[in-house]
Amino acid sequence: MSNLSGVSSIGEPEFLKLVDVSKTFGSHRVLDKINLTVSEGEVLVIIGPSGSGKSTLLRCINFIAAPDEGEVIFEGHVWKSRISKYNFLANRRYEQKLTALRSEIGMVFQNFNVFPHMTAAQNVMLGLTKVRKQNKDLARKAAVEALTQVGLADKVDQYPDKLSGGQKQRVAIARALALKPKVMLFDEATSSLDPELVNGILEEIRRLAKAGMTMVVVTHEMNFAFQVAHRIVFMDEGRIVEIGTPEEIRKTTEPRTRSFLSAILN
Amino acid sequence: MTSAEPFFDFTSVWSSMPMLLKGFGIAMACATVAIILAIILGLIVALMRLSRIKFLRWFAFIYTQFFRGIPLYVLIIWVYFGLAIAAGVNLPAIPAGILTLALLNSGYLSETFRSGILAINKGQVEAGTALGLSRRNVMRHIILPQAFRVIIPPLGNQYVDAIKDTAILSIIGVPELMRESKALANLYYRPFEFYTFAGLLYLFAVLVVSRGISVVEKKLSAHSAQTPATIALSK
Repeated sequence: MSNLSGVSSIGEPEFLKLVDVSKTFGSHRVLDKINLTVSEGEVLVIIGPSGSGKSTLLRCINFIAAPDEGEVIFEGHVWKSRISKYNFLANRRYEQKLTALRSEIGMVFQNFNVFPHMTAAQNVMLGLTKVRKQNKDLARKAAVEALTQVGLADKVDQYPDKLSGGQKQRVAIARALALKPKVMLFDEATSSLDPELVNGILEEIRRLAKAGMTMVVVTHEMNFAFQVAHRIVFMDEGRIVEIGTPEEIRKTTEPRTRSFLSAILN
Repeated sequence: MTSAEPFFDFTSVWSSMPMLLKGFGIAMACATVAIILAIILGLIVALMRLSRIKFLRWFAFIYTQFFRGIPLYVLIIWVYFGLAIAAGVNLPAIPAGILTLALLNSGYLSETFRSGILAINKGQVEAGTALGLSRRNVMRHIILPQAFRVIIPPLGNQYVDAIKDTAILSIIGVPELMRESKALANLYYRPFEFYTFAGLLYLFAVLVVSRGISVVEKKLSAHSAQTPATIALSK
Protein backbone atom coordinates (compact mmCIF):
# COMPACT_ATOMS: atom_id res chain seq x y z
CA MET A 1 0.00 0.00 0.00
CA SER A 2 1.36 3.39 -0.92
CA ASN A 3 1.57 5.35 2.24
CA LEU A 4 3.10 8.67 1.42
CA SER A 5 1.37 10.68 4.14
CA GLY A 6 1.34 7.96 6.74
CA VAL A 7 -2.39 7.37 6.41
CA SER A 8 -3.82 4.69 8.61
CA SER A 9 -4.08 1.06 7.67
CA ILE A 10 -7.02 -0.57 5.94
CA GLY A 11 -9.65 -2.66 7.69
CA GLU A 12 -12.69 -4.53 6.38
CA PRO A 13 -12.12 -4.82 2.60
CA GLU A 14 -15.75 -4.58 1.41
CA PHE A 15 -16.94 -1.90 3.80
CA LEU A 16 -18.76 0.08 1.13
CA LYS A 17 -19.57 -1.34 -2.23
CA LEU A 18 -21.35 -0.01 -5.31
CA VAL A 19 -22.82 -2.61 -7.65
CA ASP A 20 -23.83 -1.69 -11.20
CA VAL A 21 -24.91 1.80 -10.21
CA SER A 22 -26.37 3.69 -13.17
CA LYS A 23 -28.09 7.02 -13.50
CA THR A 24 -29.58 8.86 -16.45
CA PHE A 25 -30.67 12.49 -16.66
CA GLY A 26 -32.98 12.71 -19.65
CA SER A 27 -31.05 11.07 -22.45
CA HIS A 28 -27.67 11.65 -20.82
CA ARG A 29 -26.22 8.62 -19.07
CA VAL A 30 -24.37 10.22 -16.19
CA LEU A 31 -23.33 6.98 -14.55
CA ASP A 32 -22.95 3.77 -16.50
CA LYS A 33 -22.77 0.61 -14.40
CA ILE A 34 -20.34 1.77 -11.79
CA ASN A 35 -18.74 -0.93 -9.65
CA LEU A 36 -16.55 0.19 -6.81
CA THR A 37 -15.38 -1.14 -3.48
CA VAL A 38 -14.13 0.95 -0.60
CA SER A 39 -12.34 -0.65 2.35
CA GLU A 40 -12.74 0.47 5.92
CA GLY A 41 -10.32 3.29 6.65
CA GLU A 42 -9.53 3.79 2.98
CA VAL A 43 -9.23 7.20 1.37
CA LEU A 44 -10.54 6.91 -2.16
CA VAL A 45 -10.07 9.96 -4.34
CA ILE A 46 -12.12 10.40 -7.50
CA ILE A 47 -10.70 12.56 -10.26
CA GLY A 48 -11.84 13.29 -13.79
CA PRO A 49 -12.99 16.04 -16.11
CA SER A 50 -16.10 18.03 -15.17
CA GLY A 51 -19.25 16.31 -16.30
CA SER A 52 -17.65 12.89 -15.88
CA GLY A 53 -20.16 11.92 -13.18
CA LYS A 54 -17.94 12.28 -10.09
CA SER A 55 -20.40 14.35 -8.08
CA THR A 56 -23.37 12.24 -9.13
CA LEU A 57 -21.51 9.11 -8.11
CA LEU A 58 -20.90 10.61 -4.67
CA ARG A 59 -24.59 11.53 -4.40
CA CYS A 60 -25.64 8.02 -5.28
CA ILE A 61 -23.67 6.59 -2.36
CA ASN A 62 -26.04 8.22 0.16
CA PHE A 63 -29.00 8.34 -2.23
CA ILE A 64 -29.43 12.09 -2.24
CA ALA A 65 -29.47 11.39 -5.96
CA ALA A 66 -31.33 8.15 -6.51
CA PRO A 67 -29.55 5.74 -8.86
CA ASP A 68 -31.86 4.36 -11.54
CA GLU A 69 -30.29 0.95 -11.23
CA GLY A 70 -27.86 -0.83 -8.99
CA GLU A 71 -27.31 -1.02 -5.29
CA VAL A 72 -25.09 0.22 -2.52
CA ILE A 73 -23.86 -2.28 0.02
CA PHE A 74 -22.74 -0.79 3.29
CA GLU A 75 -21.50 -2.95 6.16
CA GLY A 76 -23.13 -5.93 4.44
CA HIS A 77 -26.53 -4.26 4.20
CA VAL A 78 -28.01 -3.79 0.71
CA TRP A 79 -29.59 -0.43 -0.18
CA LYS A 80 -31.51 0.55 -3.31
CA SER A 81 -33.43 3.56 -4.55
CA ARG A 82 -36.73 1.75 -4.26
CA ILE A 83 -37.92 -1.68 -3.34
CA SER A 84 -41.02 -1.90 -5.50
CA LYS A 85 -41.73 -0.93 -9.07
CA TYR A 86 -45.38 -0.13 -8.43
CA ASN A 87 -46.06 0.09 -4.70
CA PHE A 88 -45.70 3.79 -4.00
CA LEU A 89 -46.39 3.47 -0.27
CA ALA A 90 -43.82 0.72 0.19
CA ASN A 91 -41.25 2.94 -1.48
CA ARG A 92 -42.19 5.83 0.78
CA ARG A 93 -41.69 3.68 3.86
CA TYR A 94 -38.41 2.38 2.45
CA GLU A 95 -37.25 5.92 1.81
CA GLN A 96 -37.64 6.65 5.51
CA LYS A 97 -35.22 3.80 6.16
CA LEU A 98 -32.66 5.35 3.83
CA THR A 99 -32.27 8.12 6.41
CA ALA A 100 -30.54 5.52 8.60
CA LEU A 101 -27.92 4.95 5.91
CA ARG A 102 -27.50 8.67 5.35
CA SER A 103 -26.92 9.37 9.00
CA GLU A 104 -23.93 6.99 8.89
CA ILE A 105 -22.43 8.86 5.93
CA GLY A 106 -21.29 12.45 6.32
CA MET A 107 -21.15 14.74 3.32
CA VAL A 108 -19.40 18.02 2.60
CA PHE A 109 -20.38 20.08 -0.42
CA GLN A 110 -18.70 22.47 -2.80
CA ASN A 111 -21.08 25.30 -1.86
CA PHE A 112 -20.90 24.54 1.88
CA ASN A 113 -24.70 24.47 2.13
CA VAL A 114 -24.66 25.67 5.72
CA PHE A 115 -28.12 26.65 6.93
CA PRO A 116 -28.08 30.46 6.84
CA HIS A 117 -30.91 30.92 9.34
CA MET A 118 -29.06 29.01 12.05
CA THR A 119 -25.94 29.80 14.04
CA ALA A 120 -22.89 27.61 13.62
CA ALA A 121 -23.88 25.66 16.74
CA GLN A 122 -27.47 25.27 15.56
CA ASN A 123 -26.22 24.00 12.20
CA VAL A 124 -24.34 21.25 13.99
CA MET A 125 -27.11 20.57 16.52
CA LEU A 126 -29.85 19.95 13.94
CA GLY A 127 -28.68 16.47 13.02
CA LEU A 128 -27.95 15.62 16.65
CA THR A 129 -31.41 16.56 17.89
CA LYS A 130 -33.51 15.42 14.91
CA VAL A 131 -31.58 12.40 13.70
CA ARG A 132 -29.73 11.20 16.80
CA LYS A 133 -32.61 12.37 19.04
CA GLN A 134 -30.25 13.92 21.57
CA ASN A 135 -31.60 16.51 23.95
CA LYS A 136 -30.63 20.12 23.35
CA ASP A 137 -28.06 20.45 26.15
CA LEU A 138 -26.19 17.35 25.10
CA ALA A 139 -26.37 18.33 21.44
CA ARG A 140 -25.09 21.80 22.23
CA LYS A 141 -22.12 20.35 24.10
CA ALA A 142 -21.32 18.02 21.21
CA ALA A 143 -21.73 20.89 18.72
CA VAL A 144 -19.32 23.13 20.61
CA GLU A 145 -16.86 20.26 20.76
CA ALA A 146 -17.16 19.54 17.03
CA LEU A 147 -16.74 23.22 16.17
CA THR A 148 -13.74 23.48 18.47
CA GLN A 149 -12.10 20.57 16.66
CA VAL A 150 -12.31 22.41 13.35
CA GLY A 151 -10.96 25.58 14.93
CA LEU A 152 -14.18 27.53 15.34
CA ALA A 153 -14.43 27.65 19.13
CA ASP A 154 -14.94 31.42 18.98
CA LYS A 155 -17.58 31.30 16.21
CA VAL A 156 -20.06 28.97 17.88
CA ASP A 157 -22.91 31.48 18.06
CA GLN A 158 -22.20 33.30 14.80
CA TYR A 159 -24.57 33.17 11.87
CA PRO A 160 -23.04 32.01 8.57
CA ASP A 161 -23.31 35.47 6.98
CA LYS A 162 -20.62 36.60 9.43
CA LEU A 163 -18.27 33.77 8.47
CA SER A 164 -15.73 33.46 5.67
CA GLY A 165 -16.01 30.71 3.06
CA GLY A 166 -13.40 28.63 4.84
CA GLN A 167 -15.20 29.03 8.15
CA LYS A 168 -18.52 28.06 6.56
CA GLN A 169 -16.92 24.94 5.17
CA ARG A 170 -15.56 24.15 8.64
CA VAL A 171 -19.07 24.46 10.05
CA ALA A 172 -20.23 22.05 7.34
CA ILE A 173 -17.45 19.61 8.25
CA ALA A 174 -18.26 19.87 11.97
CA ARG A 175 -21.95 19.38 11.18
CA ALA A 176 -21.17 16.14 9.36
CA LEU A 177 -18.61 14.87 11.89
CA ALA A 178 -20.81 15.54 14.91
CA LEU A 179 -23.00 12.62 13.88
CA LYS A 180 -19.94 10.36 14.11
CA PRO A 181 -20.32 9.01 10.57
CA LYS A 182 -18.52 5.90 9.43
CA VAL A 183 -17.85 7.31 5.97
CA MET A 184 -17.24 10.86 4.80
CA LEU A 185 -17.95 12.11 1.29
CA PHE A 186 -16.25 15.29 0.08
CA ASP A 187 -17.63 16.86 -3.08
CA GLU A 188 -15.07 19.37 -4.34
CA ALA A 189 -14.94 20.80 -0.84
CA THR A 190 -12.38 23.46 -1.75
CA SER A 191 -13.55 24.51 -5.22
CA SER A 192 -15.58 27.50 -3.99
CA LEU A 193 -12.89 28.76 -1.65
CA ASP A 194 -10.52 31.64 -2.10
CA PRO A 195 -7.04 30.21 -2.81
CA GLU A 196 -5.61 31.19 0.57
CA LEU A 197 -8.34 29.23 2.37
CA VAL A 198 -7.95 26.00 0.41
CA ASN A 199 -5.07 24.57 2.42
CA GLY A 200 -6.88 24.92 5.72
CA ILE A 201 -9.74 22.76 4.52
CA LEU A 202 -7.39 20.24 2.88
CA GLU A 203 -5.62 20.05 6.23
CA GLU A 204 -8.91 19.11 7.91
CA ILE A 205 -9.43 16.32 5.39
CA ARG A 206 -5.87 15.14 5.93
CA ARG A 207 -6.43 15.11 9.68
CA LEU A 208 -9.47 12.87 9.18
CA ALA A 209 -7.49 10.57 6.89
CA LYS A 210 -4.85 10.16 9.58
CA ALA A 211 -7.55 9.39 12.11
CA GLY A 212 -8.59 6.47 9.92
CA MET A 213 -11.86 7.82 8.55
CA THR A 214 -13.18 6.04 5.48
CA MET A 215 -13.53 8.71 2.82
CA VAL A 216 -14.54 9.19 -0.77
CA VAL A 217 -13.15 12.49 -1.98
CA VAL A 218 -13.91 14.25 -5.25
CA THR A 219 -11.31 16.92 -5.86
CA HIS A 220 -9.44 18.92 -8.46
CA GLU A 221 -6.46 19.39 -6.13
CA MET A 222 -4.14 16.87 -7.73
CA ASN A 223 -1.18 17.22 -5.38
CA PHE A 224 -3.49 16.70 -2.46
CA ALA A 225 -5.11 13.74 -4.21
CA PHE A 226 -1.82 12.00 -4.77
CA GLN A 227 -0.68 12.63 -1.20
CA VAL A 228 -3.76 11.57 0.68
CA ALA A 229 -5.27 8.79 -1.41
CA HIS A 230 -4.86 5.09 -0.90
CA ARG A 231 -6.36 4.63 -4.33
CA ILE A 232 -7.32 7.03 -7.08
CA VAL A 233 -10.29 6.53 -9.38
CA PHE A 234 -10.23 8.21 -12.77
CA MET A 235 -13.67 8.75 -14.25
CA ASP A 236 -14.72 9.89 -17.68
CA GLU A 237 -18.14 10.02 -19.34
CA GLY A 238 -19.92 8.21 -16.55
CA ARG A 239 -17.53 5.31 -16.37
CA ILE A 240 -14.58 4.33 -14.25
CA VAL A 241 -11.64 4.36 -16.61
CA GLU A 242 -9.02 3.27 -14.16
CA ILE A 243 -8.43 2.61 -10.48
CA GLY A 244 -5.02 2.41 -8.91
CA THR A 245 -2.66 3.53 -6.19
CA PRO A 246 -1.24 7.03 -6.66
CA GLU A 247 1.96 5.39 -7.92
CA GLU A 248 0.09 3.34 -10.50
CA ILE A 249 -1.98 6.28 -11.68
CA ARG A 250 1.09 8.46 -11.95
CA LYS A 251 2.79 5.91 -14.18
CA THR A 252 -0.33 4.88 -16.08
CA THR A 253 -0.26 4.16 -19.78
CA GLU A 254 -4.02 4.56 -20.14
CA PRO A 255 -4.32 7.34 -22.73
CA ARG A 256 -7.35 9.20 -21.30
CA THR A 257 -5.94 9.26 -17.77
CA ARG A 258 -2.62 10.45 -19.11
CA SER A 259 -4.08 13.25 -21.16
CA PHE A 260 -6.24 14.38 -18.23
CA LEU A 261 -3.30 14.37 -15.82
CA SER A 262 -0.92 16.11 -18.19
CA ALA A 263 -3.54 18.77 -18.90
CA ILE A 264 -4.24 19.41 -15.24
CA LEU A 265 -0.69 19.10 -13.88
CA ASN A 266 0.70 21.71 -16.27
CA MET B 1 -85.79 79.79 3.35
CA THR B 2 -82.82 77.87 4.69
CA SER B 3 -79.33 79.22 4.33
CA ALA B 4 -76.99 77.36 1.98
CA GLU B 5 -75.32 74.38 3.67
CA PRO B 6 -71.52 74.37 3.84
CA PHE B 7 -69.91 72.51 0.99
CA PHE B 8 -67.89 70.24 3.27
CA ASP B 9 -69.14 69.44 6.71
CA PHE B 10 -67.44 66.80 8.81
CA THR B 11 -69.44 67.40 12.00
CA SER B 12 -71.67 64.41 11.34
CA VAL B 13 -68.55 62.30 10.78
CA TRP B 14 -67.11 63.33 14.15
CA SER B 15 -70.36 62.63 15.93
CA SER B 16 -70.60 59.19 14.30
CA MET B 17 -67.06 58.29 15.29
CA PRO B 18 -67.88 55.38 17.64
CA MET B 19 -69.87 53.63 14.92
CA LEU B 20 -67.20 54.22 12.30
CA LEU B 21 -64.41 53.00 14.53
CA LYS B 22 -66.42 49.92 15.41
CA GLY B 23 -66.86 49.25 11.70
CA PHE B 24 -63.15 49.79 11.18
CA GLY B 25 -62.39 47.35 14.00
CA ILE B 26 -64.63 44.72 12.44
CA ALA B 27 -62.96 45.23 9.06
CA MET B 28 -59.49 44.83 10.59
CA ALA B 29 -60.55 41.77 12.58
CA CYS B 30 -62.06 40.13 9.47
CA ALA B 31 -58.93 40.83 7.41
CA THR B 32 -56.60 39.59 10.15
CA VAL B 33 -58.44 36.35 10.89
CA ALA B 34 -58.86 35.75 7.15
CA ILE B 35 -55.17 36.24 6.40
CA ILE B 36 -54.16 33.88 9.22
CA LEU B 37 -56.50 31.22 7.85
CA ALA B 38 -55.24 31.96 4.34
CA ILE B 39 -51.63 31.43 5.46
CA ILE B 40 -52.51 28.02 6.88
CA LEU B 41 -54.60 27.01 3.86
CA GLY B 42 -52.11 28.48 1.41
CA LEU B 43 -49.21 26.59 2.99
CA ILE B 44 -51.12 23.31 2.85
CA VAL B 45 -52.06 23.88 -0.78
CA ALA B 46 -48.49 24.87 -1.67
CA LEU B 47 -47.15 21.67 -0.10
CA MET B 48 -49.76 19.70 -2.04
CA ARG B 49 -48.69 21.47 -5.20
CA LEU B 50 -45.11 20.32 -4.56
CA SER B 51 -46.12 16.82 -3.51
CA ARG B 52 -44.96 13.73 -5.35
CA ILE B 53 -48.54 12.50 -5.44
CA LYS B 54 -50.08 13.46 -8.75
CA PHE B 55 -53.61 13.76 -7.45
CA LEU B 56 -52.57 16.27 -4.76
CA ARG B 57 -50.64 18.35 -7.26
CA TRP B 58 -53.61 18.35 -9.58
CA PHE B 59 -56.06 19.27 -6.82
CA ALA B 60 -53.83 22.08 -5.61
CA PHE B 61 -53.47 23.46 -9.12
CA ILE B 62 -57.26 23.57 -9.64
CA TYR B 63 -57.73 25.10 -6.17
CA THR B 64 -55.23 27.85 -6.87
CA GLN B 65 -56.55 28.69 -10.30
CA PHE B 66 -60.13 28.65 -9.06
CA PHE B 67 -59.77 30.98 -6.12
CA ARG B 68 -57.48 33.32 -7.98
CA GLY B 69 -59.78 33.44 -10.95
CA ILE B 70 -63.13 34.09 -9.30
CA PRO B 71 -63.99 37.73 -8.58
CA LEU B 72 -64.40 38.42 -4.87
CA TYR B 73 -67.90 39.72 -5.53
CA VAL B 74 -69.03 36.41 -7.01
CA LEU B 75 -67.17 34.33 -4.45
CA ILE B 76 -68.80 36.08 -1.53
CA ILE B 77 -72.26 35.53 -2.96
CA TRP B 78 -71.50 31.86 -3.51
CA VAL B 79 -70.26 31.40 0.03
CA TYR B 80 -73.07 33.37 1.68
CA PHE B 81 -76.09 32.46 -0.46
CA GLY B 82 -74.80 29.55 -2.52
CA LEU B 83 -73.77 27.42 0.45
CA ALA B 84 -77.16 28.03 2.06
CA ILE B 85 -79.06 27.03 -1.08
CA ALA B 86 -76.87 24.15 -2.20
CA ALA B 87 -75.79 22.62 1.10
CA GLY B 88 -78.17 24.16 3.62
CA VAL B 89 -75.20 25.73 5.43
CA ASN B 90 -76.39 29.06 6.79
CA LEU B 91 -73.26 30.91 7.73
CA PRO B 92 -73.73 34.22 9.56
CA ALA B 93 -72.41 37.19 7.60
CA ILE B 94 -69.12 37.70 9.44
CA PRO B 95 -67.90 34.06 9.28
CA ALA B 96 -69.02 33.90 5.64
CA GLY B 97 -67.06 37.06 4.91
CA ILE B 98 -63.95 35.77 6.69
CA LEU B 99 -64.19 32.42 4.92
CA THR B 100 -64.50 34.14 1.54
CA LEU B 101 -61.47 36.33 2.12
CA ALA B 102 -59.51 33.36 3.48
CA LEU B 103 -60.27 31.23 0.41
CA LEU B 104 -59.47 33.99 -2.03
CA ASN B 105 -56.20 34.90 -0.31
CA SER B 106 -55.16 31.28 0.17
CA GLY B 107 -55.22 30.91 -3.60
CA TYR B 108 -52.74 33.73 -3.98
CA LEU B 109 -50.67 32.80 -0.94
CA SER B 110 -50.25 29.19 -2.05
CA GLU B 111 -48.47 30.49 -5.13
CA THR B 112 -46.41 32.83 -2.96
CA PHE B 113 -45.42 29.96 -0.68
CA ARG B 114 -44.64 27.74 -3.63
CA SER B 115 -42.32 30.26 -5.22
CA GLY B 116 -40.75 30.96 -1.81
CA ILE B 117 -40.06 27.28 -1.27
CA LEU B 118 -38.69 26.86 -4.79
CA ALA B 119 -36.44 29.88 -4.31
CA ILE B 120 -34.45 28.06 -1.64
CA ASN B 121 -31.32 26.52 -3.08
CA LYS B 122 -31.40 22.80 -3.79
CA GLY B 123 -28.14 22.42 -1.90
CA GLN B 124 -30.00 23.17 1.32
CA VAL B 125 -32.25 20.17 0.73
CA GLU B 126 -29.24 18.03 -0.15
CA ALA B 127 -27.40 19.06 2.99
CA GLY B 128 -30.37 18.30 5.22
CA THR B 129 -31.08 15.02 3.49
CA ALA B 130 -27.43 14.00 3.71
CA LEU B 131 -27.56 14.50 7.48
CA GLY B 132 -30.27 11.85 7.61
CA LEU B 133 -33.21 14.18 8.16
CA SER B 134 -36.58 12.99 6.90
CA ARG B 135 -38.30 14.91 4.10
CA ARG B 136 -40.68 16.34 6.66
CA ASN B 137 -37.87 17.60 8.88
CA VAL B 138 -35.98 19.07 5.93
CA MET B 139 -39.12 20.99 4.98
CA ARG B 140 -39.91 22.07 8.52
CA HIS B 141 -36.48 23.02 9.84
CA ILE B 142 -34.57 24.01 6.72
CA ILE B 143 -36.84 25.03 3.83
CA LEU B 144 -39.85 26.67 5.45
CA PRO B 145 -37.97 28.95 7.88
CA GLN B 146 -35.97 30.28 4.93
CA ALA B 147 -38.92 30.42 2.55
CA PHE B 148 -40.87 32.37 5.15
CA ARG B 149 -38.21 35.08 5.16
CA VAL B 150 -38.41 35.29 1.38
CA ILE B 151 -42.17 35.71 1.32
CA ILE B 152 -42.61 38.30 4.07
CA PRO B 153 -42.98 41.22 1.60
CA PRO B 154 -45.59 39.54 -0.64
CA LEU B 155 -47.32 38.28 2.48
CA GLY B 156 -47.56 41.87 3.69
CA ASN B 157 -49.02 42.97 0.36
CA GLN B 158 -51.62 40.24 0.63
CA TYR B 159 -52.62 41.46 4.08
CA VAL B 160 -52.95 45.00 2.77
CA ASP B 161 -55.16 43.76 -0.06
CA ALA B 162 -57.28 41.80 2.40
CA ILE B 163 -57.85 44.92 4.52
CA LYS B 164 -59.11 46.85 1.51
CA ASP B 165 -61.12 43.90 0.27
CA THR B 166 -63.16 43.84 3.48
CA ALA B 167 -65.10 46.77 1.98
CA ILE B 168 -66.91 44.34 -0.27
CA LEU B 169 -68.18 42.34 2.72
CA SER B 170 -70.79 45.10 3.01
CA ILE B 171 -72.85 43.41 0.29
CA ILE B 172 -73.70 40.51 2.59
CA GLY B 173 -74.38 42.82 5.52
CA VAL B 174 -71.19 42.61 7.55
CA PRO B 175 -71.28 45.79 9.66
CA GLU B 176 -67.77 46.80 8.63
CA LEU B 177 -66.46 50.25 7.85
CA MET B 178 -67.86 50.53 4.34
CA ARG B 179 -71.35 49.46 5.25
CA GLU B 180 -71.46 51.76 8.25
CA SER B 181 -70.15 54.64 6.17
CA LYS B 182 -72.80 54.06 3.55
CA ALA B 183 -75.58 53.94 6.13
CA LEU B 184 -74.35 57.11 7.81
CA ALA B 185 -73.78 58.85 4.49
CA ASN B 186 -77.39 58.19 3.55
CA LEU B 187 -78.61 59.27 6.95
CA TYR B 188 -76.81 62.62 6.95
CA TYR B 189 -76.71 63.18 3.17
CA ARG B 190 -72.96 63.51 3.46
CA PRO B 191 -71.57 60.76 1.21
CA PHE B 192 -68.38 62.60 0.27
CA GLU B 193 -67.35 63.24 3.87
CA PHE B 194 -68.11 59.75 5.12
CA TYR B 195 -66.47 57.92 2.22
CA THR B 196 -63.43 60.16 2.39
CA PHE B 197 -63.06 59.49 6.07
CA ALA B 198 -63.46 55.75 5.48
CA GLY B 199 -60.79 55.95 2.81
CA LEU B 200 -58.44 57.69 5.22
CA LEU B 201 -59.00 54.97 7.82
CA TYR B 202 -58.13 52.27 5.27
CA LEU B 203 -55.07 54.25 4.25
CA PHE B 204 -54.02 54.60 7.88
CA ALA B 205 -54.34 50.85 8.43
CA VAL B 206 -52.39 50.05 5.30
CA LEU B 207 -49.56 52.42 6.26
CA VAL B 208 -49.32 50.95 9.77
CA VAL B 209 -49.28 47.39 8.41
CA SER B 210 -46.69 48.20 5.75
CA ARG B 211 -44.47 49.76 8.39
CA GLY B 212 -44.84 46.70 10.61
CA ILE B 213 -43.99 44.38 7.73
CA SER B 214 -40.82 46.24 6.84
CA VAL B 215 -39.69 46.10 10.48
CA VAL B 216 -40.23 42.34 10.56
CA GLU B 217 -38.54 42.00 7.18
CA LYS B 218 -35.47 43.88 8.35
CA LYS B 219 -35.24 41.78 11.48
CA LEU B 220 -35.49 38.47 9.66
CA SER B 221 -33.38 39.32 6.64
CA ALA B 222 -30.35 39.74 8.90
CA HIS B 223 -29.60 36.07 8.17
CA SER B 224 -31.27 35.78 4.85
CA ALA B 225 -32.13 32.66 2.95
CA GLN B 226 -29.64 30.96 0.69
CA THR B 227 -31.11 31.44 -2.74
CA PRO B 228 -29.17 31.03 -5.97
CA ALA B 229 -28.84 34.79 -6.18
CA THR B 230 -27.28 35.15 -2.73
CA ILE B 231 -24.88 32.30 -3.43
CA ALA B 232 -23.70 34.00 -6.58
CA LEU B 233 -23.14 37.19 -4.59
CA SER B 234 -21.24 35.46 -1.82
CA LYS B 235 -18.73 33.92 -4.18
